[in-house]
Amino acid sequence: MSNNIARKKIDSATIISAVIVLCIYVAAFVAEQFIAPTSMLFTVLKKGATYALVAVSMNLLNGFTGIFSLGQAGFMLIGAYVYGIFTVPVAERINVYQYYNGGLVQFVLPWFVAMALSGLVAAFFAFLIGMPVLRLKSDYLAIASLGFAEIIRAVMQWDKLGPITNGSNMLRLFPSFNDFNIRAADGHVVVYLSTLVPLLIAGVCIGVIILLINSTFGRALKAIRDDEIAAEAMGIRLASHKRLAFCISSFFAGVGGAMLAMYQTTVQAKGFTTAMTYEILLIVVIGGIGSVTGSCISSFLFVAASEWWLRFLDQKQMIGSFEVPLLRNGFRLVVLRRRGPNERERTSP
Amino acid sequence: MSENVLHLDHLTMRFGGVVAVNDLSMDINKGEIVALIGPNGAGKTTAFNMVTGVYTPTEGKVVLNGQDVTGKRPDEITKLGVARTFQNIRLFSSMTVFDNVLTAKHLRRTSNFLTATFRLNAAEEKHMREETEKLLREVDLYDLKDEMATSLPYGKQRLLEIARALATQPKLLLLDEPAAGMNPQETEELGAFIKQIKDRFDLTVFLIEHHMNLVMGISDRIYVIDFGKHIAEGTPAEVQDNPAVIAAYLGVDEDESGLPSEGPRASAPAAPPEARGPLKVETRGGKGVQ
Repeated sequence: MSNNIARKKIDSATIISAVIVLCIYVAAFVAEQFIAPTSMLFTVLKKGATYALVAVSMNLLNGFTGIFSLGQAGFMLIGAYVYGIFTVPVAERINVYQYYNGGLVQFVLPWFVAMALSGLVAAFFAFLIGMPVLRLKSDYLAIASLGFAEIIRAVMQWDKLGPITNGSNMLRLFPSFNDFNIRAADGHVVVYLSTLVPLLIAGVCIGVIILLINSTFGRALKAIRDDEIAAEAMGIRLASHKRLAFCISSFFAGVGGAMLAMYQTTVQAKGFTTAMTYEILLIVVIGGIGSVTGSCISSFLFVAASEWWLRFLDQKQMIGSFEVPLLRNGFRLVVLRRRGPNERERTSP
Repeated sequence: MSENVLHLDHLTMRFGGVVAVNDLSMDINKGEIVALIGPNGAGKTTAFNMVTGVYTPTEGKVVLNGQDVTGKRPDEITKLGVARTFQNIRLFSSMTVFDNVLTAKHLRRTSNFLTATFRLNAAEEKHMREETEKLLREVDLYDLKDEMATSLPYGKQRLLEIARALATQPKLLLLDEPAAGMNPQETEELGAFIKQIKDRFDLTVFLIEHHMNLVMGISDRIYVIDFGKHIAEGTPAEVQDNPAVIAAYLGVDEDESGLPSEGPRASAPAAPPEARGPLKVETRGGKGVQ
């Protein structure tokens, strides 16, 4: 009896969240038809959806398995490149790969196949580097994964790989989010889908991650996070479960990378810096370690703040003819920066 | 006689220069409750850790049901039917009572991560949940199933650890100081509980314990170690009368004792009883000290 009630409670919670998500989708779809597509709202929704997916994938690792990894930008980079490499139209390749005679790859995959491949290749790399890296613990693992991301970024710009990766030049002209809009024969957009589709992709992927977290494997991962020794004593093989979490997290980071490529419309390795990983980490921490909903909400908030709401801080603030010196770069550097120990010594008498 | 479940063959564990367990041999037969006792730091938990694969013994073999399992990983040994509890409670702190036990069912799964994610293992999952429910009812924790594991009172947490170990469907259950921190009444109840689950789940029990009332009350046989060395074995009555055991627990003036001084004891002078931990040995007819 009590069991039935508990089950019903869970069901109603699921239904409510499903309804909320559905409302967001409907609202996004409707808004897209009536608000100008250049509005910042859509930038935030598209980039927010991308970051939400990557943040949840990072949370799967950092929050649910207790593996503190900072390789997310590296796996996004792999995903973005795989997507770009396999979707640049054949006719355009001679322009895109202008220094490499059109490059080696002379075929095109449909966008969803390329996106899935992005994830698979990222997961494959995760499998390879997971073998040594997952033997490390805490800080060392974070440093090693960060190092991997930096190495990947350098390798992708390597001239010898140019026929595939286009070296340090950007990949472009592949299908982007705007290509999801349905156009009439004259090029006029009939139905706008460029925001709804990324939201849907992220939603499906995050849904899969939630299903995983709530499965028996998710429980095993949480057990590893809570107590490795006890988990192992309960018959959970640490190595294989950590590797599984690492690969799945990287798979979705790869898909997120492909989405980021679609959002940006171009891909260049030098954009996938450590700072990007820190942005994702910031989102995960703000949303709450181990909270999927939190990661999703904070990712939209973060993107909205950094791309839109707080942009005014970078401009001159005028009150009448007086220029407010607050909050511009110089001010922030002096006031908000943490002082190093040496500096404090120097300033003290 | 009855069949051998666990055989420790001359186990030695060294950590650098420290010999934690020295040439320990033991046999545990099916259906027995065997206790391993000894003063603090005698190497009891190290012995457990070798059996469960946490440590690979420096020398010697661990044989489980006739199969050499020396050097196997803890999870492999658990799959072979050995479950344990911990001296310091190690529950999954972010999970409910129910999920703690349910997680221990993970190792008997047949699903892989894809079938589990996409709920193609619904029947198996349902079966796991039903078994968990049944187990929780049997150990009388069902009413607390939705509580967070760490919010339970101490005694219940110990009980939950045993329940979680039982969920892995063990044949051999290792209990590392199950009565630590319990009052006399709880200890007595625990003793009855251990006997009860032993019969109910057809177990063999191997336990480390300091509460001598419990050890003497439920054990079929007792092994005593000190400084990693086996010093006595036998039924509770035999062990209690063994002068070597009394010496290990109470300390002994070596000039007066007829005991040979050998091994580590020769190099380590007999410590005063306070330094060797609380005395809990029950002497003949007398009340246990502490």
